[in-house]
Amino acid sequence: MFDLVIVGAGIAGQTAAIYAARKRMDFVLLAKEVGGQFLESGEVLNYPGILKTTGVEFKLLMDKQLEFNEVNVTEGKEVKKIGKIEDGFRVYCDSDTYDAKTVIIASGARPRGLNVPGEKEFARKGVTYCSICDGPLFSGMDVVVVGGGNSALEAVDFIKDIAQKIYLLNNGKEFNAHEYLIERVLSYKNVEILLEADTKEVLGDKFVTGLVYEKNSILHSLEVQGVIIEIGRVPNTGFLEGFLELDEHNHVVVDCQTRASVEGVFAAGDCASGHEYQYVTSAGQGCMALLKAARYLANKKL
Amino acid sequence: MAKIKIYSTPTCPFCRMAKEFFKEKKIGFEDIDVSADRAVASELFERSGHMGVPQIEVNGKIIIGFDKAALEQELKDV
Repeated sequence: MFDLVIVGAGIAGQTAAIYAARKRMDFVLLAKEVGGQFLESGEVLNYPGILKTTGVEFKLLMDKQLEFNEVNVTEGKEVKKIGKIEDGFRVYCDSDTYDAKTVIIASGARPRGLNVPGEKEFARKGVTYCSICDGPLFSGMDVVVVGGGNSALEAVDFIKDIAQKIYLLNNGKEFNAHEYLIERVLSYKNVEILLEADTKEVLGDKFVTGLVYEKNSILHSLEVQGVIIEIGRVPNTGFLEGFLELDEHNHVVVDCQTRASVEGVFAAGDCASGHEYQYVTSAGQGCMALLKAARYLANKKL
Repeated sequence: MAKIKIYSTPTCPFCRMAKEFFKEKKIGFEDIDVSADRAVASELFERSGHMGVPQIEVNGKIIIGFDKAALEQELKDV
């Protein structure tokens, strides 16, 4: 039986693993893929001690740091379920299981979908959730950005000189974003703002050709070749249903010490309640979860 | 030696990861920036049926995204 299983190798899980390795704990780091959401962020300008970097640079540096600390990531493992066993927990993957005395859940979050017809069908055919990945492909095209938060407005800012015409479609009455971003986006001549507009369908043949939205109970359609969806994120916690307490948005409920509702289980980063989708908060929580897990083991003499 | 083309854009993180993957393996590749040439982009999207990057061509076969397992498999078969 391991001392610890860490589920997820984004920044929270990697931080926990570095500390666990330095404490010489007997642990395993399970991950579907290493790096997680690192690869969806562009510039990073607010990590203490690092003036300026990008998601990829950060990821590559973390790879080196894992190697330096002799952390092995067991990659390609998607956790399906966690259950209680005597003196610990059993973590179920597709073809194998891992038993441990404690578990740290750091499974992160993923982009929220619109859940409208055509969205899945045209994914990677004009529908995208990653503007820095696919934004430059819309050169000279008309594009709609769906959303009203920082990510949506950043997407508009990023493609303003790439796309021809940009519709910014938000279902709310106003934007929920940094003031400087709102001012910037409002100043662009090629951006048309559509508020209180509900997306109903993505249209297309081989690729995206348009989008249907409803405003004031009337259906309208836009002719666009690109649909960028930035309407927030959902935590990757489906495998935890019934095992521990989740909040109304399915985040793992944790206290101020990263403890989940089941004794011996801790959670950190974007999958946990109180998340802020920041590198630095995830790193901090990953560290705390590991230290609390180590203390739990010592107190229980496990 | 496999002939490899990476269709990419300058900002795409997964394109960067894909290039690192080949560099680490010391396998040469041709990097094609599709955002710089719309004709190349359209031709690629028509051919693969996918609008996104990276798309990686290994010996004429296109692999969508940075799919490490699929790449390893394809390189093994070469």
